[in-house]
Amino acid sequence: MPSRSELDLLYQIGSQLAPAIHQAQNWPYDVPHAQYEASLWPPHDVGGQPDAPVRYEEKEEEQWELDTYVTCEVLGWKGVWNAEERRRRGNNDIGLSLYYDFPYYGRWVLCAARMLVDKNHVSLLELLEKIAEVKARYGKP
Amino acid sequence: MESRKTGNAPAHFNVGDLVRVKDLPNLFYSRTQMYVRGVRGTIAARTYEDLLPEDEAWNRDDAQPEQFYIVRFRQKDLWDGYPFENDTLQTELPDRWLEPAGD
Amino acid sequence: MAQTHDHGDHSHPAAPMVEEISDFEILEIAVRELAIEKGLFTAEDHRKFTEWAEQIGPAGGSRLVAKAWTDPAFKARVLSDGVAACREIGIDWAEPTGQGTPSDYMELRVLEDTPTLHHVIVCTLCSCYPRPLLGHSPYWYRSPNYRRRLVRWPRQVLTEFGLVLPPEVEIRVEDSNQKCRFMVLPMRPAGTESWSEEQLAEIVTRDCMIGVALPRPDRKADDVRPVHKASRPVGGEHHEPGGSP
Repeated sequence: MPSRSELDLLYQIGSQLAPAIHQAQNWPYDVPHAQYEASLWPPHDVGGQPDAPVRYEEKEEEQWELDTYVTCEVLGWKGVWNAEERRRRGNNDIGLSLYYDFPYYGRWVLCAARMLVDKNHVSLLELLEKIAEVKARYGKP
Repeated sequence: MESRKTGNAPAHFNVGDLVRVKDLPNLFYSRTQMYVRGVRGTIAARTYEDLLPEDEAWNRDDAQPEQFYIVRFRQKDLWDGYPFENDTLQTELPDRWLEPAGD
Repeated sequence: MAQTHDHGDHSHPAAPMVEEISDFEILEIAVRELAIEKGLFTAEDHRKFTEWAEQIGPAGGSRLVAKAWTDPAFKARVLSDGVAACREIGIDWAEPTGQGTPSDYMELRVLEDTPTLHHVIVCTLCSCYPRPLLGHSPYWYRSPNYRRRLVRWPRQVLTEFGLVLPPEVEIRVEDSNQKCRFMVLPMRPAGTESWSEEQLAEIVTRDCMIGVALPRPDRKADDVRPVHKASRPVGGEHHEPGGSP
């Protein structure tokens, strides 16, 4: 349970995430065509978008990242989903804020969790209770 | 996975054919990049037959498989003001997304 | 550490951790444990796939290139059927399931550089990469920055990697967006004429096979870049399903 001040922080970050397209949005009555097209442009299709040079780094892989990769692949191996379902869920059906805010495998593990619920392999409450149980097991507040 | 699907859909193009990428509306999901839509290219290779990503992404296993191709584009055709004459780009597209471009 | 999970009693000390477990680690454990509990796969399936995923790396690609450089008949087979040529050097794209991995498919195309043609690979839509042959892709390869810019400003990006090519060399970007997987077969550099296959393989680094670098006789590793260290790297402490931290 977040404290009131933690909750306030979440609200602050949430309100900063919302205007990701730099225009205040409040359920407009209509949307200009270009806005419509840009909003429906699948987030993963980034080729050709302008960006500034960065220093390309090497990143050591975390154990949970490898475990996530393997879990998603084994779910494919066993026919629970195919890789294209994962790519769509992981890359597109999450909104731009999550697309850019989460690490690469953060999106993978999130879409695996959602797939288990969407395909009725677990109920949402089962998933929530499992997450709570794992947090308690590892002493995470 | 080696789950390659084959069917009876005709393959309309051969290596060397000029094609144009269709400019279908954008909704929910695609693996046809915006930057190639409406642009003319050349068939560089025929690859395999399989389900289209727009079907596979919703697990439509019984959908019609189609021929895929590697299509080569001139960078100057893809990007306004691209400064290098000879540079090219290749990407892979299914039959359904292509139409003949003539000369 | 003994398993003492008394969830009704929160007085026992928290599990000792070097660094607090992250939200993604929690979610990963929850998903994996639920999938096993529901019978979607077994811990043994996961272990078997992990064993495969931990041993893949760019060394396979390096050996393929070195052999192609020294054996013209093999090179012809590499260019006509990449997956079959991989089998000749002990890399089986059908592993670890017998039918390949769900994400890599069994369609490899090797792109041969010439004095007038240079290839470089990218996946603008996600991170498609020939894992069985080159291992896991570097994080920068998956980054929106590389994916955004490489297709439109390839020479600028290559320059940032230290690779400057003259305008008369055609740069061909391969945007890997469907089921084919691509690898670059670079040109054998001058000064390596008497080298053995083993020696040659040492200079074919990962970056050369992505196409952001060229092999050089004096370089056996990719250019040094900043490294972001993992807090719990692969091969270290492992959260076993249902196990203690």
